Amino acid sequence: MSSGIIVGYDGSDGGKAALRAAIELGRAYGEKVVIAFAYDLNPVAGELHDYHAALKELATKRLTEATTLAADADADADIEAVIVEQGPAAGLVALADERDARLIVVGNRGERWIKEVLLGSTPLKLLHLSDRPVLVVPWRPS
Amino acid sequence: MESASLTQPKSAGIIVEDKGLKKNAISFVSNIVIGVASTAPAYSLAATLGYIALVGGLGVQSPAVILVCFFPMAAIAAAYYYMNRADPDCGTTFTWMTRAMGPWLGWQGGWAIVVADVLVMPSLASVAGVYTCSLVGINNPSNLAVTVIGIVWIVIMTVICYIGIEISARTQRLLLGMEFVTLVAFSVVALIKVYADHPAHSIEPTASWFNPFAVSSIGALNSGILLAVFIYWGWDSGVTVNEETEDSSTAPGRAAIVSTFVLVGIYLLVATAAQAYGGVASLAAHPNDVLAPLGNGVLGSPWNKILIIAVLSSASASTQTTILPTARTTLSMARMKAIPRQFGNIHPRFLSPSFSTIWMGVVSTLVYVLLSVTSPTNLIGDAFTSLALTIAFYYGFTGFACVIFYRRELLKSAKNFLYIGVLPMFGGLVLTWVLIKAVLVYSKPHAGFAKPFLGIGSPIAIALLMIVIGLVLMIVQRVTMPEYFRRKLEVVDPSVLADAPAGRTS
Repeated sequence: MSSGIIVGYDGSDGGKAALRAAIELGRAYGEKVVIAFAYDLNPVAGELHDYHAALKELATKRLTEATTLAADADADADIEAVIVEQGPAAGLVALADERDARLIVVGNRGERWIKEVLLGSTPLKLLHLSDRPVLVVPWRPS
Repeated sequence: MESASLTQPKSAGIIVEDKGLKKNAISFVSNIVIGVASTAPAYSLAATLGYIALVGGLGVQSPAVILVCFFPMAAIAAAYYYMNRADPDCGTTFTWMTRAMGPWLGWQGGWAIVVADVLVMPSLASVAGVYTCSLVGINNPSNLAVTVIGIVWIVIMTVICYIGIEISARTQRLLLGMEFVTLVAFSVVALIKVYADHPAHSIEPTASWFNPFAVSSIGALNSGILLAVFIYWGWDSGVTVNEETEDSSTAPGRAAIVSTFVLVGIYLLVATAAQAYGGVASLAAHPNDVLAPLGNGVLGSPWNKILIIAVLSSASASTQTTILPTARTTLSMARMKAIPRQFGNIHPRFLSPSFSTIWMGVVSTLVYVLLSVTSPTNLIGDAFTSLALTIAFYYGFTGFACVIFYRRELLKSAKNFLYIGVLPMFGGLVLTWVLIKAVLVYSKPHAGFAKPFLGIGSPIAIALLMIVIGLVLMIVQRVTMPEYFRRKLEVVDPSVLADAPAGRTS
């Protein structure tokens, strides 16, 4: 039996909207919420270690911030934060498979919009890749 | 279900867990591909062959120079292999030299990488400019056109690296495959035409082309080697792909060694074919642009466009593999507190080493414009020549760093002595010797293509200027952030060699 909700978080407003929705769902259905920050390490051009360490620091900072936000939204939420070292879409799917999660939640707009225009957005890729339900949470600048 | 989580205090459920989900580690083949593609064979040949042919007294022996240069480079690959084994977690020359030879030399090693990358950009950009013009059918573009296209090229490439769109290993494989097929097709067709049609100026290859002892003077051989060092430059990218590789402590180094063999093969083939088809004079006539005119004759329209596209895609890969490692080296230096910490900044949105990348782009553009405005082809050629001095320095010193770092292990077995001692030392000594001879040759007033600067040849003037800037920056850094400069020397942990016997490098 699947359980748990995976939410992709990148620190953007879209990511925050997704996190709020995931926490609400987690509370409503009594599911654990796994907050994931995903990044890809490109091996081309060498010299990875320090870059890797810097990315990990950033990811840790973002996840700490996300867990605070989650706790503010729901002090009793059952949450876990995970760094995923893979491109966002494939990484979230891999994590969901590993945890046998019930649902993947992402914002409709991440921080990397230029890249998304050029290479396709994470939500769109997720819809193609995932065998599990995907919830895309809308966010518009007000 | 709320009760289940009620028992948990606010922060107890929070584990920032590091999930290395990347199961598809880079294969051995991909590692070779990355090493070879980072060297950018088509672009390296396009940028270097003409300058090698221009070396006075070298005559038809260009292939011999490329062959000779292979030996010290393969020996340095052994140094990379062992340094990577000992310290696979870290950056390359900068970190290794810092550990083995101390912070001062280490800093200069890092600076040399940055200088080499900045000095190659003008050549890279002008090759991109010339070949872009060739692609649309303009054969003798004005300097202004080439410069403008070159600048646009650098800007686009910097933005791509800044945004973090990177060529994946798989795309790299495809591009490199096409590049190789094109280069081999070009060479085979050229050689067939040489033997069958005997086109004007063509010469049939002889064994003496590959004989370094047939070179008329040792000075010519030296100058040639110094240029040829450049065409092997870049394979170290394959070695530094560390943790991602299956069997991370041995495979990357082995891949670096294999990639030097792959490179020597393709280079000898193309250099021989190009020289056989057009003769030495045709190579020397367009030093910035060797393959495009030859492609016209050998492949004819429209097939020559494939060769142009191969050079352009190779140059784009090369630009990326120039900007990215430089940004990562300066990021490494910033994290070790060797340079201001802003260079270690990661872009919050694009996750790229943003500050380092922008700096690399801006400085490269400025250097390119400066060289191009003052003396279009000459200074770019001279910057290219002095670039080789820098590469010889940091490759050579990586060889020495390996011997010093492993000094306590060298006498423990004959294999250790040969592979960790003799080979890296040999590579280091050859490159140092080449460096010294080159300094003597190039410092003569008329050694460069451009006018002498304060009575010394302009390649050396450029190198000296870079050394002085480096020393000033290092001293400023020593005064403002002394912490890094207090680092102690380190030696290798003997257990590095314990798990696998030394010497099984190939």
